[in-house]
Amino acid sequence: MTDSALATNPASAVATSAVAPKLTVRDLHFYYNGFHALKGINMDIPEKKVTAIIGPSGCGKSTLLRIFNRIYAIYPKLEAKGEVVLDGDNVLDPGYSMNRLRSKVGMVFQKPVPFPMTIFENVAYGIRHHEKLSKSDMEARVERALRSAALWDEVKDKLKQNALGLSGGQQQRLCIARAIALKPEVLLLDEPTSALDPIATGRIEQLVEELKSEFTIVIVTHNMQQAARCSDLTAFMYLGELIEFDQTEKIFTKPGKKQTEDYITGRFG
Amino acid sequence: MPVNQAALPTDILEQRSHRDARHERLFRWLLKGCALIVLAALLGAAGATLWGGREAFSTFGWHFLVSSAWDPGNDVYGALVPVYGTIATSFIALLIAVPVSFGIAVYLSEVAPAWLRTPVASAIELLAGIPSIIYGMWGLFVFAPFFANHIKPWLTSNLGNKPDDGKLSWVAEHVPFVGKLFGSDYPFGASILVAGIVLAIMIIPFISSVMREVFQTVPTRLKESAYALGSSTWEVSWDIVLPYTRSAVIGGVFLGLGRALGETMAVTFVLGNAMQLSASLLDPGTSIASTIANQFSEASGLQKSSLMALAFLLFVVTFIVLLIARLMLRQLARKEGH
Repeated sequence: MTDSALATNPASAVATSAVAPKLTVRDLHFYYNGFHALKGINMDIPEKKVTAIIGPSGCGKSTLLRIFNRIYAIYPKLEAKGEVVLDGDNVLDPGYSMNRLRSKVGMVFQKPVPFPMTIFENVAYGIRHHEKLSKSDMEARVERALRSAALWDEVKDKLKQNALGLSGGQQQRLCIARAIALKPEVLLLDEPTSALDPIATGRIEQLVEELKSEFTIVIVTHNMQQAARCSDLTAFMYLGELIEFDQTEKIFTKPGKKQTEDYITGRFG
Repeated sequence: MPVNQAALPTDILEQRSHRDARHERLFRWLLKGCALIVLAALLGAAGATLWGGREAFSTFGWHFLVSSAWDPGNDVYGALVPVYGTIATSFIALLIAVPVSFGIAVYLSEVAPAWLRTPVASAIELLAGIPSIIYGMWGLFVFAPFFANHIKPWLTSNLGNKPDDGKLSWVAEHVPFVGKLFGSDYPFGASILVAGIVLAIMIIPFISSVMREVFQTVPTRLKESAYALGSSTWEVSWDIVLPYTRSAVIGGVFLGLGRALGETMAVTFVLGNAMQLSASLLDPGTSIASTIANQFSEASGLQKSSLMALAFLLFVVTFIVLLIARLMLRQLARKEGH
């Protein structure tokens, strides 16, 4: 492999090397109402990289993401078996505190869903749950989060206005700001651009690129170009199984499995 | 063959568009008429009661509003006691019904297992259909005696300033005003508080079914976003679900309040119908609707006119309450940056 290939794809060293993974999934099964939705997933998600999960609708990619922060647990009759190890601790262990988990793992959803509050309060809301900050500290925290989400310049003069007045793309960046305001270590993005136009999508992808120096990012997407553009590693899932997980470049140029190749080349999905 | 040869002759088309325009006009008038019926009924009722009460208003003037006298022997009437009773019982009813309804609605929309939701929701709607006379009978024969025997003694001796044993309670000595609210030497159950409680039970079905329905309209992703930030069920309900559904919730609350303000039968049974002004919630009182129901059939002259004037005041009270609700909504909206 040439030097330039290594430089453009720094993940290449990670997948096999000794760098400890941030998030380790071990023999993970998931059931809802008796339906076996995930069938023994194993994967190591490296720190401060972007990991994309792709696959056709219903393959379980969103389900997998929703296990990482246990958001599925707010609904009855859903059951996860196996381990998701974050920094050495299994987050599926009932003893793992929900507050600890949710402050370490942030999530952004398909559709931008600002809370029915002002722009400032949208970002401050989550912080308030976990920390008591003085007014000036809170203002600084909110500003930093909005800056990190590349939204500050657009909203700095209207922090006291309702967040529903923002455009779809701005709302989604606000949702990202809201998530990173808690200083999480892992950021889960569940098809974050599926409701956005191409320009707003481009900005979010650019943002993902910027954020990976600080966060471990896992992004679920149905858009293969998006996975190819902004991820270091890509996982391909099909019918509840992890078919292939490797460096993005490899998945999209010489996939190891026939099914991956069929999906990548658009033969199904 | 050219296409336009198959088209209808111009005069038929003209005719049809005339007919359509006529139908459209008729339909619009019909719709407008339906909407105007409401307005006409409201203005008619308000106007008729104002007209009926003109004699009372011209005889007593503003004094009618602030006088607690109601003396058919001397033909002197004042609206203060029934107006106070109406507002106090409805206020107590809201104080109890709103939090309980919120709890029911959150439980049914966020917490309850799926198999329990529909039966409980139907039960609530059934409760809303029970005629008020049933609540009144239950209040008179069951709840008021129970209240007089078991709850009232505890309230007067622990909170009131007129306890049975003659010793002032700690609360009455140390907290201003509360002692007065719960002091009473009247031995029966029927009182402002009991009427408020019975009204609360009557309006809970209305408020909670509206709340439950609008809580279900909150997008799942919105709630999940809050959970994903670490929020508890309480925080999601209070900070996200409630603000999101605010105007509909307030609408439901005022639907209940409207019923409470105008409720007649149930209140008449459990309010004691005493034309006396007392600070105590455990003393009997009266409300506008029950005063009218009790006295209208035998009233004439100035008394009848005073009852009409009372009815008009019920309109005014309801209107003021709705106005306050509007202002509250606007204030809240401003806080959220709208």
